[in-house]
Amino acid sequence: MSIVASSDEMIDRSGRIRTSWVPVMEAVRDIGHDELSRRSAALNRQMRLAAPFGAAPARHYDPLPAPLTPLDFSRLEAGLIQRAQLLSAVLEDLYGPQTLLRDGGFPPALIYANPHFLRGLHTRAALRLPRLGLYAADLIRGADGNFQVLRDHTGVIPGLGHALSLRRMASSTVPELFRTGGLRSLRPAREMLVDHLQRSAQGGIIAVLSAGASSPAPTQDTMDDALLARALGVLLIEPGDLATRNGGLHMKTLSGLLPVASLIRGLSGIDLDPLEQGGRPGAGIPGAFGAIRSGALSMLNAPGSALLEASEITEYIEPLFQRLQGAPPLLAKAAGDPVTSASKAPFVNGVNLVSTPILFRLYAWHDGASWQVLPGGLGFGLEQNSAAQGITITGMKDLWVLDADEPHIISGATHADVPRRTQFLAAAHLPSRVADNLFWLGRSVERLESASRLLMLALPRLESGTSLPRDLAERGLIAKCLAQAGLLSADLAGGALSGRQLRGALARRKPITAQLKEVARLVNAASERLSPSMLATVRFALNQATESLPNEETALPSMLNFAATFAGIAAENMSRDGGWLFLEMGRRLERAETLAENLSILLNAPPERLEPGMALGIELADSVLSYELRHAGILAPGPVLAMLLADFGNPRSLAYQFIVLRNCLQHLGADDDADSLKQLQQEAVNLSGETTGLAQPLAAIAARLRLLSDHVHRRFFTLLPEAHQLEDELELEAAQ
Amino acid sequence: MIYRLHHATTYDYAEPVVLGTHFMHLLPRARPGQIIREAALSISPQPESRRDETDHFGNTATTISLTAPHRQFLVLASATIEVEQPAPPPPAQTPRWEAIAAWGIKDPDVAEFCLPSALAKPNGDIADYTAVSFPPGRTILAGLLELNQRIWTDMTYAPGVTNNTTTAAHIIITRAGVCQDYAHFMLACLRSLGLPGRYVSGYLRTSPPPGQARRRGADQSHAWVSAWLGPQTGWVDFDPTNNLLVHDEHVTLAWGRNFLDVSPLRGIILGGGRHALRVNVDLDPVLT
Repeated sequence: MSIVASSDEMIDRSGRIRTSWVPVMEAVRDIGHDELSRRSAALNRQMRLAAPFGAAPARHYDPLPAPLTPLDFSRLEAGLIQRAQLLSAVLEDLYGPQTLLRDGGFPPALIYANPHFLRGLHTRAALRLPRLGLYAADLIRGADGNFQVLRDHTGVIPGLGHALSLRRMASSTVPELFRTGGLRSLRPAREMLVDHLQRSAQGGIIAVLSAGASSPAPTQDTMDDALLARALGVLLIEPGDLATRNGGLHMKTLSGLLPVASLIRGLSGIDLDPLEQGGRPGAGIPGAFGAIRSGALSMLNAPGSALLEASEITEYIEPLFQRLQGAPPLLAKAAGDPVTSASKAPFVNGVNLVSTPILFRLYAWHDGASWQVLPGGLGFGLEQNSAAQGITITGMKDLWVLDADEPHIISGATHADVPRRTQFLAAAHLPSRVADNLFWLGRSVERLESASRLLMLALPRLESGTSLPRDLAERGLIAKCLAQAGLLSADLAGGALSGRQLRGALARRKPITAQLKEVARLVNAASERLSPSMLATVRFALNQATESLPNEETALPSMLNFAATFAGIAAENMSRDGGWLFLEMGRRLERAETLAENLSILLNAPPERLEPGMALGIELADSVLSYELRHAGILAPGPVLAMLLADFGNPRSLAYQFIVLRNCLQHLGADDDADSLKQLQQEAVNLSGETTGLAQPLAAIAARLRLLSDHVHRRFFTLLPEAHQLEDELELEAAQ
Repeated sequence: MIYRLHHATTYDYAEPVVLGTHFMHLLPRARPGQIIREAALSISPQPESRRDETDHFGNTATTISLTAPHRQFLVLASATIEVEQPAPPPPAQTPRWEAIAAWGIKDPDVAEFCLPSALAKPNGDIADYTAVSFPPGRTILAGLLELNQRIWTDMTYAPGVTNNTTTAAHIIITRAGVCQDYAHFMLACLRSLGLPGRYVSGYLRTSPPPGQARRRGADQSHAWVSAWLGPQTGWVDFDPTNNLLVHDEHVTLAWGRNFLDVSPLRGIILGGGRHALRVNVDLDPVLT
């Protein structure tokens, strides 16, 4: 038995560092191992914070790339194109004329027994686009220096989002690597892909279809889906965002149902169409198969294309190269244990560089005329798994394709042909689900802030208050506000509330903890609409706020810090179309409602006893300083009410909330709701001139704001009732 | 024999349905021994879109989209069909069952009907039950006729005790059900030996031929089994619910591996609330 030593990516046979690796290792030398270890941690932290949906990346991201020489890449490119062509032809045949079943290419039972053979997509005519539009191959480099194919990806293509994003992330954490240049950019390829997608979509919506936030456990895959959508500048949608109508697929958006032309599929084809395959409607897209067959919808890749990934089927594929293409495969199939035969490359592990077997994943797409290979990809560190033949992936790194000396001519994308970017990121094309999440995110952050503010005001007063009538009155008002905000049970609010009682209630009920959790949930759910840097900042602030718990009393300032960070980020980092409008509406509605409710409690007194309530109201609205500056601290109903109800310049007045809300609603074309707000605004301004009978009208304003919130909800988010399967009465339908 | 078919399916909804997509196998297919003279679907409300396609099995599948709010959905299938299944050769002249299993799994048109499917999956008990009728070397038709009769004898016809998702594994224990269950059970038996069998959905003539007992499953959607007797004879149909060899009383609608492949009418609706379903089938000979 002879043991063949695996080759090394970085070191050649004479023990020298290969030329292609020199820039990488020079950068490592300059940075130093300790610093590199810190950069690696920073890269992983950054990826984690930027991860949409709160998907904790399961994988370690390695900051060092694995460079491929121009010669390496040209071999891989030719091999990948050949494989993609063959697999595409096989797929078209198995889902079409099936000559390969008749002439012995595959045993028919092998194909028919595979769950990925989806009969619903076996058609006489070809689909509008080839079934295989995206392809990836996992390869290793054997001891002889040649690349070998470990497996093909023809169904859901894993990791393409990372392949298009990892370099951007790494370049900010390890800029030293990028000093020398000389590597091929991914941008032209990405633009060609986007251009092709847009051309073939003919103006319809293109999106990445993902299990998304609604999947039970966000995975590496949902994160990759989100990265891909971002890299390509297309929407990220979930089955629940879609409805079938007139044989085509439509996205539920704020402006109704819009036709979807192309989906990059991140979900398995099995159980994708509950209409034809059975199953729960919410988990799939009813009517998707029909839409694909009719040409109204294209999927990359078509459902059922994962058929060719099955190990029992792949052995029949290799002989087909000779038969269908008249040439042997350019890339041999890997035989034996990949972990022992793969070449090794350095991966950062703490302060060490560890030479680890590496798997290369390269990507290709069909641009309508021919196959294009991405000049890049992913490198995975491999480790033996205890399970038989099992492989564990230990780390993920960027693949570099070094530039040949001669200028590389990019074919395919014609520069005169500027990609036509459809404006689907504007508000009107926002998926209803996303708008819904942002609306509630806005509300929940504001709710957290107002609850924290109220508690910070309440605790010291309840603790140190005297039994003077003014203090007693103040404590009574505070108790009622706390009960109204759900921070205290109504029974406690009725009696004489003490600081100890409130602390006890906080310890038992943990209202702030619950509210912060809700904020975190909604940040995850809405994360696809927050930019990576924004998301990272918000998550960081959220972590700090969480760390300040479980003592809710001492955590209150951290909650206000979080709310302030969030508001600042939203104001400075979000464009004012689309999602921001809903975030803002949620926030303003919540603030207006809380203010109106609190004031209806605080101002429920005859004019001569209004003073304690007014003082609390000013403080709750964070307007003490402005009031003192303007009115020298003398509390009088006129100026107080003007400031809290009618002051358009005070961002915590009712009038201010109404103006902002009106603007948002007008932007969204909800003119009737905007008109009703105008009326409310006028009522609030009128009220500021009164000194008696304020409680009831303020409570009425709060009630009407709740109605408005319901209306906004119905108008924008619940366009359609829930879908259900028409097979309830099973036995009646059964053949008898 | 020439038949006139009327199959009406009506859904009444408590609330309006705002959007409905339906997938149907309600137009009868042609096959050797069956000619479709004419066939049509009349649907109310008028669908916004409709596509008739030939599915993987060669059945006609219709997909419609309803976009106008409606409280009632009605599909009326009507057709004129001529049927006359030729009598199979004498049992002794048919191939041995082992040969059928060996050919079937290699034949691209037959292979998938040799494989287990969701509702017709064999298990040990089913294999034991089947083995009684298929001792080594027996000819296929002799075995099939005996199995057909045994199932008819051993099972109790009992509407309402099973549903659309009842499996053969359940039936071998309870031995009770309707024609769909009889068919799935017989298919699971065949598949325990790797013998090709198809689930056939269709109709049985409403009134029996003069002087004969009323059949089970008339007035309804019916189902039975088609078994492959080799390349020479092809497919021959058995109705275990009535212990019949199918000749001229059955009209084939569609076939597949099991009920799930040929479900007459499926739908995903938005809205609707509770609904009530009525099905009415008439299959009467046309006097010529």
